[in-house]
Amino acid sequence: MEIELATNLAGLAISIIIGRFAYAGYAAVGSPNLLRLTLAFISISAGFVLIATALFAGPAFSGAMNTSGLAAQAVGYFFIAMSHGLKSSSDFVPSRHVAALLLVPLTTAPFIIPGNSIEHLVRSISFILLVYVSIETMASYMQTRKNSTLMIGSGLGTLAAAEIVAWYGFIFPGTFAIPALAAKVAGFGLMFVPFSRLGLGRMEKVDGV
Amino acid sequence: MTGYRTHISIIADILDTAREYSYEGHDRGATVTHLIRRANVPHGRLSSLVSELKASGLLQELPEESKYRISEKGMEFLKSYQQFKGFAEGFGLRV
Repeated sequence: MEIELATNLAGLAISIIIGRFAYAGYAAVGSPNLLRLTLAFISISAGFVLIATALFAGPAFSGAMNTSGLAAQAVGYFFIAMSHGLKSSSDFVPSRHVAALLLVPLTTAPFIIPGNSIEHLVRSISFILLVYVSIETMASYMQTRKNSTLMIGSGLGTLAAAEIVAWYGFIFPGTFAIPALAAKVAGFGLMFVPFSRLGLGRMEKVDGV
Repeated sequence: MTGYRTHISIIADILDTAREYSYEGHDRGATVTHLIRRANVPHGRLSSLVSELKASGLLQELPEESKYRISEKGMEFLKSYQQFKGFAEGFGLRV
């Protein structure tokens, strides 16, 4: 329990700092993408709080709180995926038939995931969103060749791997819980490295457009 | 990053052009032609953007001549833009 609590608190600290920085960016330049990143990291932070609180809750509420935390984090991943989706749709406007193909991963999800566990359903959705976001981020890296993009793309990919490892807990209950949580925090750690170089001190608000 | 430009990046281009023509020894300000060339937007759209920037205090119009200079607030905005552009690009996004 101590390890789970420590890793959750580490994830919470990293996501709060990244969210705070994204909010400072939104306040300074008013970018909608920075607002979506802020909302994403608020949701992810709320998820970590709920998951950590679930460790202290009684058996009647523990499962529900844990699942709520995972759902909050899935909402966070959705906001990041949404930003990428909007960016892609402005760069490349596919025909209606091609656009419909983009829905295939989400529509097939109910058939490939267990229907008897909301937690695993949520994890599957998180996995699909994270795979999409990490592929899009890596595609951006191929264009810009920026190390920060590579690190964040790798971090998102590690988060996706963490979700799939945790998903196997359905087959082998409890076995992969700690490695999955460690991978999750490692993913957030990878995302934090390039961000920390950008300067944590610059948080002042500049009113503008 | 190539492709479509956001509203914020067009504004940053306008402010950056005004900044280039506002430094000491070259402080006559940028003309509308300079701004149109750099921002690559039609005259009508540029006019509305310039009005928006003047109203928010990021751009100053020089009296008597129709030239524009960046304000202190505009310089702050540009600095923030450059910083958070790097942050958003880390996520593969645009500011």
